[in-house]
Formats: sequence, structure tokens, C-alpha cells
Amino acid sequence: MIGKRKIKNSNPMSVQKGEAVFAYIVMAVICVIALFPIVWVVMSSFKEDLLANPGFALPDNIYLGGYIKVFTQLGITRYFANSFICATLGTILSMTAFSMAAYVVARYQFKGRGIITACIMATMFVPPAALTFPVYNLIKNAGLFNTRMGLIFIYTCYEIAVSFMVIRNYFATIPEELEEAARIDGCNYLQIFLKIMLPIARPGIFTAAVLHWLKLWNEFYWASLIIVDREKMTVPAILSQFTTSFQTDYNGLLSAIVVIVIPPILLFTFSSKFFVEALSGGAVKG
Amino acid sequence: MKQRRNKAIFITLFLIPACLCFLMFYAYPILQIVVTSFCKWDYTNLSSPQFYGVGELLTNYKYIFTEYPYFWEALKNSLCWALVGVVIQVPLTLVVAIVLSKGLRFSKFARNVYIVPSVISSAAMGLIFLQLYNARYGPIQQIIQKFSPDFTDSILLMEGINFWAIVFAYVFFCGTTTIMLLGQIHSIAPELYEAGKIDGAKGLKRELYITIPLVMPTIKTVATLAATSGFLLYNEVFFLTNGAAGTKSITYIIRELAITSSRTQYARANTIGVVQIVIGLLLVAVINFAFSEKKIKNRGGEKA
Repeated sequence: MIGKRKIKNSNPMSVQKGEAVFAYIVMAVICVIALFPIVWVVMSSFKEDLLANPGFALPDNIYLGGYIKVFTQLGITRYFANSFICATLGTILSMTAFSMAAYVVARYQFKGRGIITACIMATMFVPPAALTFPVYNLIKNAGLFNTRMGLIFIYTCYEIAVSFMVIRNYFATIPEELEEAARIDGCNYLQIFLKIMLPIARPGIFTAAVLHWLKLWNEFYWASLIIVDREKMTVPAILSQFTTSFQTDYNGLLSAIVVIVIPPILLFTFSSKFFVEALSGGAVKG
Repeated sequence: MKQRRNKAIFITLFLIPACLCFLMFYAYPILQIVVTSFCKWDYTNLSSPQFYGVGELLTNYKYIFTEYPYFWEALKNSLCWALVGVVIQVPLTLVVAIVLSKGLRFSKFARNVYIVPSVISSAAMGLIFLQLYNARYGPIQQIIQKFSPDFTDSILLMEGINFWAIVFAYVFFCGTTTIMLLGQIHSIAPELYEAGKIDGAKGLKRELYITIPLVMPTIKTVATLAATSGFLLYNEVFFLTNGAAGTKSITYIIRELAITSSRTQYARANTIGVVQIVIGLLLVAVINFAFSEKKIKNRGGEKA
């Protein structure tokens, strides 16, 4: 990804037998922990009457009524579309704003550079919940309450410190000579940024973007606060409606949970390479 | 001259979007919560917050600390969740990351499986655990009934126990931080392990004296993330108990006072917000102190 040679320090030959046994036990345990809740929900979603064979009991036969209902009545694709739009636009806007700032801060000396860096980094320690009412009020006064635009606006400014830090650190590693050479060739500041620096910094921005997108895709607090209309809700927000809208229809509820949970898992399965590389800063290959 | 002015214009233009973000969503709201924490501002005077008199400026703080029935419950819960997060997640992440770093067969598979719960939202996880804990059809209930057949209560409504029910709904799912740590372990130079081998650092010793000290900065990050996410816990509380039976968190009471309640208390919600920021900063400071590199180095020195 970053063009770094894969460093292999984990020679399997050096693992002793006792260590290997321990390692496999740990791996088995984490797999069970991670899969148990999901496997149970999938299994139970096939039970026509959950109360008749509760808990660990296997389903008598495969009942698909819940799934049919989910697709015909719930219109689940709409919520995925909303989530995708909000997460993606939020990520694009956030990455644009903060790559620009990160570039300037990483490559230029100017007055106020320290203060701007300190301010942006300090936001890491500001819990969004503490600002609930002011932000809610701001969105409301801007006429953006109950709109996806309002949510995208919040998402653009969400967790800015991490993106800023990741991108700034990447810009800082690019050799200065490249900029010098471009300047001598007659590039202006904007051209240097767009044509030289931005393409080189793509892996760093990509890492920040993946992290940001994943956070937004799963974001619940603001999504459930800003959006009131059902048809504008994102996937996490619609989940809060499930507890009431299904009441005693357990089969419908479990089928809906499965349908909500499976697409991100599939998406991850096919793109685990990107996520793992992004999270590990490029050190772990997918 | 022109060159310099161009540069200044360029720098300013590039900083504007980020600064607007900061000013609108951080600076101004922080200023607002601090200022209004000294005001009377609730559902009766939404459009005109009023400062309390000179002698009574701290009325909201006094109310929160002495009269508001849920503050201490919420603070205790949030701090306990933070502590539990650090105590369980830091060792867990470390062990899993070290195990996965060995490059054994199936470790890539185990790694990918372990990230799955982090890919689906904690809201979905909360809803799934709500089903697991269900008193009528949940598997957890079945396990309990194996030991006491007459048990029919909902564990989510049992004070004390529901605290742990919420903990188990999130505490083991630390796939993302595990990968961060794994990345750090992978970037340790193989030569260090070679050198360690000559000095007899094998097995557990190898991890204790080489791996752990070298990834200490990332462990500190993991601890900070575990503490802050525990301290700010909301989604699991909302989905599992909705704050019932002694499980309110600080975030929960802020949202309740500011938005959900029928008699909204904006100033008091903001006051708790100020308290949340201050305590959050203290938490980060404590963790920074507990995991400070100087201390670690000293400890290593004593043993050597």
C-alpha cells in the first residue's frame, strides 16, 4: 500500500509448541466471542415461534416469513442508502477540509500554526455528548433539523483530530525537494498541492477516510438525535425504532436485525484488506 | 513581496474550512455550555437564558451535585465503565494482538472474524444483546435457569447485575484497537528479537521485555480509548436498559435533560457537559501518568 516492504518478524518456526497451543486457544475463544451473538440471531431468525423453542434450541424447520416481511414492508434498502449517503458525503467533506489544513500545517511556517494545531488536537478530549444541546440548537437554528444535510454537516466536523493527525503525519514524511522542484518549474501554491502533494499523500488520506467512514457508518448518537422522520433515518438510527415497531413479532425483529447486520459484514469480508491496512497504519497486510 | 502575499492568502484560504468546523462545532458550543452553566435556562425561557445573580452563580452546579437524583448514579456508572474498560480491554487487546502477530495458520482468519463485531454498529450490537438477555427466549436466561430453574426475572432490571450485562455487550469487542496494536508489533525490527534470543529472551520473557516495552505508546492509546469510550457509554445503555434500574450514564442524563425530557433543562444539561469534559480530561491525565514512559523505563531498569 505505502510501498513499504513487508517486514516479516513472525517466523512461525520460532513459536514453541506450548505457545502455539495457547495461541490457538486464544484464537478459538475470540472467534466464539465474536461470532456467538451473530450466529445466534441468524439461527433464531429461522424460528417461526421463538417462544416455543427458545434460547439454544435449534429451529424445527427453516421459516423465512420474517425475511419476506422485512423486504416487503420495511423497505430496508432506503436506510442503507441514507447511511451510505451521509457517511460518504461526510467523509468526503471532512477529508477535503482537513487535508487542506493538514497540508498547510505540515509544510508551511506561519503565525498561529501552533495554536491551530493545538485547537484541533484538543477536540480529541471534548466528548460530543457534552455539546449535545449547543450543537442540536445550532442545527435547528440553521434550519437543518430533521434533514440529512444537517447530519452530514455534523459528520464533516466529527472526530476531526484523528483525521487531521493521520493526514498531517503523512504530509510531514514527504521530502521537501519535491515542492522545491515544482516551484522552480513554475507551479503556484495551489498547483503544488493539487498536482504534487495530494497524489503522494493519497495513502495517508485514504487511511483517514476509511477510519472516518467506518465511524460514521456506525454512528448512532447524532443520527438518532437530528433525524425524526423514518424515511430519512440511517441504519443505526432505525434500529432504535425496532424495539417498539415489532412489539411481539420476534421473528420479524430478528430477521430485520440479520438483514441490517449482514451487508456490513459482507462488505468487510471482501474489503478486509483495506480496513486492516488502514487501521494498522499500513503495517499489517490483509 | 507579491510572492509572500500570495503565500499568506493561500495559507489562509486552506485553513478556513477546518477553522470554521472548529469554531462552529467545538469552540462556540464549549463557550456556550460554560457560559450557560451559570444561567437559568430551561423549557420556560428557551429564547432568553438569564444569568443567576452574583451570589448564586453556581446554582446549577449546586443543583447537580446535591439535588439532581441521577447525577451520582450516572457518574459512578460512567467511571466504573471506564475502569472496567481499561482493566479488561488493555490486557485482552495485548494478548490477542501478540497471539495474532505470530503468523500461525488461521491467524488471519481469526483476526478478520474478531473485527466483525466492530464493523457492525454498537447500536446493532446493543439490539442483539437485548435479544440474548431476553427473559423469555434469550440463551443467557437458559444458562441461568440451568443453575436456578425458578429464575424468571429479567437480568436487565436487576440492579448491579445489569451493570455487568451492559459491560459484556461491548467490552470484548476490541477488534479495531487490536489491529492498531498488531500493526505496531509488526513494525518492531526483527533484529531486536534476534538480539533478544541471544540474551535468552524466549516465550513470555520475549513479549515482556521486548514486545510490550516497544509498543507502550500504542498501549497507552488503547487504554485512553478504552477509558473514554467506557466513560462516554451511551448506545448500550439506551438499547439494553434505557437508563432503568440504576444504569444511567453521564451521556444518558445529558441527553435526557437537554432533549428527551418533557421539562427540558438546557442549562443543567450544559452544566453536566462541563463536568463531563473536566472529568474526561482528568481521566486522560491519570492514564497518561499511569502509563508514562519514564515509569516504565524505571521499572525495566530495576529488573535488569
